[in-house]
Amino acid sequence: MILAVAGGKGGVGKTTLAYNVAAALDAVVVDADLGMADLPGGRGPDLHDVLAGEADPIEALRAGPVDIVPCGRTLAGARAADLRRLESAMAAIERERGTVVLDCPAGRRADAGVPLAVADACLLVVSPRAFALADAIRTRALARELDAGLVGCAVNRVTEEPPTDAIADALGAPASVVPADPRVGRSVAEERPVVDAASDSAAAEAVRELARRVPR
Amino acid sequence: MDLTWDIDREGDASLVRCRVRNDDAVPRRVRIESRLDAPVLPPRRGGLPESGWDEAGVTLRLDPGERRALGFAACAPPTDPPVELAEVEAVDTAAESAADRPIAGVEGAGSATATALRRLGDHRPPRAATAGGGNELSGASTAGREGGSDLTGANPTRSAHPDGDGNGDAFDAGERDANSDDSASSSAGATEWFEAVEARLDAVETRIDRAERLTDADLATATEAVAEADGVEGFAGLDERVAADAKRLHELSERASALASRAEATDAPVEALERLA
Repeated sequence: MILAVAGGKGGVGKTTLAYNVAAALDAVVVDADLGMADLPGGRGPDLHDVLAGEADPIEALRAGPVDIVPCGRTLAGARAADLRRLESAMAAIERERGTVVLDCPAGRRADAGVPLAVADACLLVVSPRAFALADAIRTRALARELDAGLVGCAVNRVTEEPPTDAIADALGAPASVVPADPRVGRSVAEERPVVDAASDSAAAEAVRELARRVPR
Repeated sequence: MDLTWDIDREGDASLVRCRVRNDDAVPRRVRIESRLDAPVLPPRRGGLPESGWDEAGVTLRLDPGERRALGFAACAPPTDPPVELAEVEAVDTAAESAADRPIAGVEGAGSATATALRRLGDHRPPRAATAGGGNELSGASTAGREGGSDLTGANPTRSAHPDGDGNGDAFDAGERDANSDDSASSSAGATEWFEAVEARLDAVETRIDRAERLTDADLATATEAVAEADGVEGFAGLDERVAADAKRLHELSERASALASRAEATDAPVEALERLA
């Protein structure tokens, strides 16, 4: 199972949710944001090296509370990355580890599209603002063209009651509300997924609910 | 089926342009093959040939009355004719509902990844962004300017200077190189660097030229300039960009003169150090 976490807009919390949903699914999370990596890096080979054909995908796995395939931070690395290698690389990790969660970049260029094309399903992240929803709807259309079935959408960092039904209608998938919780925000940098660090919190329950929607 | 062509010679390559038109009343699938004595170099996007192309030619589906223009290159001398209609067959419209999907399937390149790469914009940062990323300043241009070798050039630097957060980015790496490098390899790098700056300044100059022509222009001059720029859209944002250019150029000139005086004031005792070493 390869799940893409996408959203169109930057800064809505795709990386944070990808990391935490991966924790709930006991999956590997792959930082597919070739130009602006967000997940913690490491010393060894990364996704840039894998996509440049210079490292085996399994070598790039970095063990942690959630196993990560980090992405390089250089523009040269992003230039050398050949997206045609993504599909076989993700298939190799899926064979080895079962479930893979792909943290997608923002936008609608090839680096955002190819992870959706490679994925079996996708999860959209929106912030409860109207302009973020517009980007999510565009990404939803792209995912549909590329055959990535939408399993759900996460309305992230909610402080007031959002129009969940309207969002679910617009995107055509069940919407889960992830309440604003500083522990979620810190979870990636501290590598403490919220389902472990605060398993009784409302945010952890929302993450588990999203994970349950993903077919295994 | 109506096929016309012309052919140009460019160095070792022949560039073939053709137009094909289905003048029948039914959709046709047509196969156009190159007669040039080399593999066809088809149009590509993101490194992938457009759908329908292979080494020998292209397979197209044409609706009644539809025209299509296409072109390819091949590293071979021109022949006459350069292309031929290899096959024309009727399309079984009942069997295929989606327009060009079957062609993609026939070519075996219809994977979702290929679709995404063909349809969406290139994700790669422009070459100028990486070329200007400190590598040339450091004289590390021997590591190669293409992405692939840049990457291998950057990795050893990263492991040689491990930094706490793992954020060894190319620019920082280049800066560190510049600090530790001796000046031996820098002269070639310096000329390349100046060429790049010259090129940027030329681009700015073109823009300023255009703005100058429009400044206090009479109607005739303005019309002429608009015609040259393919319409008023060509000038969209020109005034803001020229204003931004002016600001940057002032900053650049201040910084450049400050750096030049600092450079003149230095007196690094390299020879003495070499004697001591």
